[in-house]
Amino acid sequence: MPILFENVSHIYSEGTPFRYSALSNVNLDITEGKITAIVGETGSGKSTLVQHLNALLLPTSGKVTVLDRTIISGEKPKDLKGLRRNVGLVFQFPEYQLFEETILKDVEFGPKNFGFEDSEKKAKEALKMVGIEESLFEKSPLELSGGQKRRVAIAGILAMNPKVIVLDEPTAGLDPSGSKSMMNLFYDLNKKYNKTIIIVTHDMEQVFAYCDEVVVMSQGQIKLKTDVKSFFKDSSLCKSFGILAPHLIRLKDSLIEKGFKIDEEVDSIESLVKIVSRQVKK
Amino acid sequence: MNSLTLGKYIPLDSIIHKMDPRSKIIGMLIIIVSIFFPSGWIGYGIIGLSVFVVVLLSKLNIKIIFNSMKPMMMMLLFLLFINTLVIKDGDLLLDVFGFTIYSEAIFQTLYITIRLFLMIMTTTTLTATTKPLDLTLGIEDLLKPFKRFGVPSHEIAMLISIALRFIPDLIEETQRIMKAQASRGVDLKEGTFKEKIMAILSLIVPLFVSALQRAEDLANAMEARGYSPGKPRTRYKVLKMKGSDYTLIVCSLILMVSMIVLSRMYA
Repeated sequence: MPILFENVSHIYSEGTPFRYSALSNVNLDITEGKITAIVGETGSGKSTLVQHLNALLLPTSGKVTVLDRTIISGEKPKDLKGLRRNVGLVFQFPEYQLFEETILKDVEFGPKNFGFEDSEKKAKEALKMVGIEESLFEKSPLELSGGQKRRVAIAGILAMNPKVIVLDEPTAGLDPSGSKSMMNLFYDLNKKYNKTIIIVTHDMEQVFAYCDEVVVMSQGQIKLKTDVKSFFKDSSLCKSFGILAPHLIRLKDSLIEKGFKIDEEVDSIESLVKIVSRQVKK
Repeated sequence: MNSLTLGKYIPLDSIIHKMDPRSKIIGMLIIIVSIFFPSGWIGYGIIGLSVFVVVLLSKLNIKIIFNSMKPMMMMLLFLLFINTLVIKDGDLLLDVFGFTIYSEAIFQTLYITIRLFLMIMTTTTLTATTKPLDLTLGIEDLLKPFKRFGVPSHEIAMLISIALRFIPDLIEETQRIMKAQASRGVDLKEGTFKEKIMAILSLIVPLFVSALQRAEDLANAMEARGYSPGKPRTRYKVLKMKGSDYTLIVCSLILMVSMIVLSRMYA
């Protein structure tokens, strides 16, 4: 069951002077079981798009299909809880949503709301997944560092064991090692548990290293949807959208410019070195 | 949040918009004082007409004024209800099974309604034509003479402008946290009493934490730029009274004097 947007538009404050069209006529299908990156400049409608996935925002016109649910504009959707239990959405800077006395209680909050019997077990598992030690479980979430808070907040969503996990800039403001371990976690969730992952990001290195598919948005519209390999074949496609390609691709392009012949797909610096050194020895 | 017409600045290009905030505040105060004189229907008619002229000059849509009256409707209905029960003067208008309505009760309610309406019309015109920041500058200047009595005019103005500045931020923050918690299964509409309390708690605690954090950040940022409340400060924007400003003050003073005269005549 794919995730499907059909002719979806979203207009904020319709009928007032502050009317703002955030999405216009979006058609998109997101494949299940893959990691999809949504990229685009600030204000291109990425956040508005992902908030349709668990019906926090309803389309002004058009149709959204997520899992076995269809949301049609103008109709009042029923049982949103069922949808939200299966589509976990992590907002930007989710650390601001923590409120419970202890970390464990806060992570349990989601599963409890959805009537889980084993919410404590689920919470502990989720906290282990994001790398929070057991000694911290009884501490106040406000005592943690920024990065740790972020992990706890993400654990709060993972504890609901959703089928689809949507992350709005999950690594913004984290240090390089923190964001790397965060991305590895999402990668594992996808590979081990076959979760569908949708990530809004500005970091092309992450898109290149972890994602399967990429959606480019601009001014409320989908400009391109393709697989990551063909998107980063060379830097020209990125350039046409005003996106800076990953280091490796730019390096490869400038090597080709200097006369090297690189036809193979390059996915790591090592493979690039191998190809280039072969040609140097000649 | 679109229903927040009360006290919202509406950017338009008009003579009233360009006026000095100080004269607008003084004018508003004088008109409100005039409204409190019991000057009868003629008096209220004159005030209403004058304020209406100001609204016309400011190019504001009269609908805005009526919209800002809407929240008062319930209160006025309640007032009418109480008045019909309590006030038993004037002519008997209605007598159904011992439930009586007297003319004075209706008149009293109408008086209050008209007074309220005039006041809201005046204040809405002020806030709709004056940027919140200009308004606080005006308040600061008007409070300056009271400084020697220990009124910290600058601090009060700074307090107001910071509070105003945070309102849209906090509204946005509330909506963001509501959505984040809704993603975790919070439902503010349904659920048992205990669940509802929990839902409200999950909203209020993060909101407080972030508001306090913001306050601290702002305080630090202000200090880092050398802000010190007691020190003398120059201003980027210097307020200047023009001919239209003096006209407004003089007109509203004339209005007040005539209201005093009218109310004497009635008494």
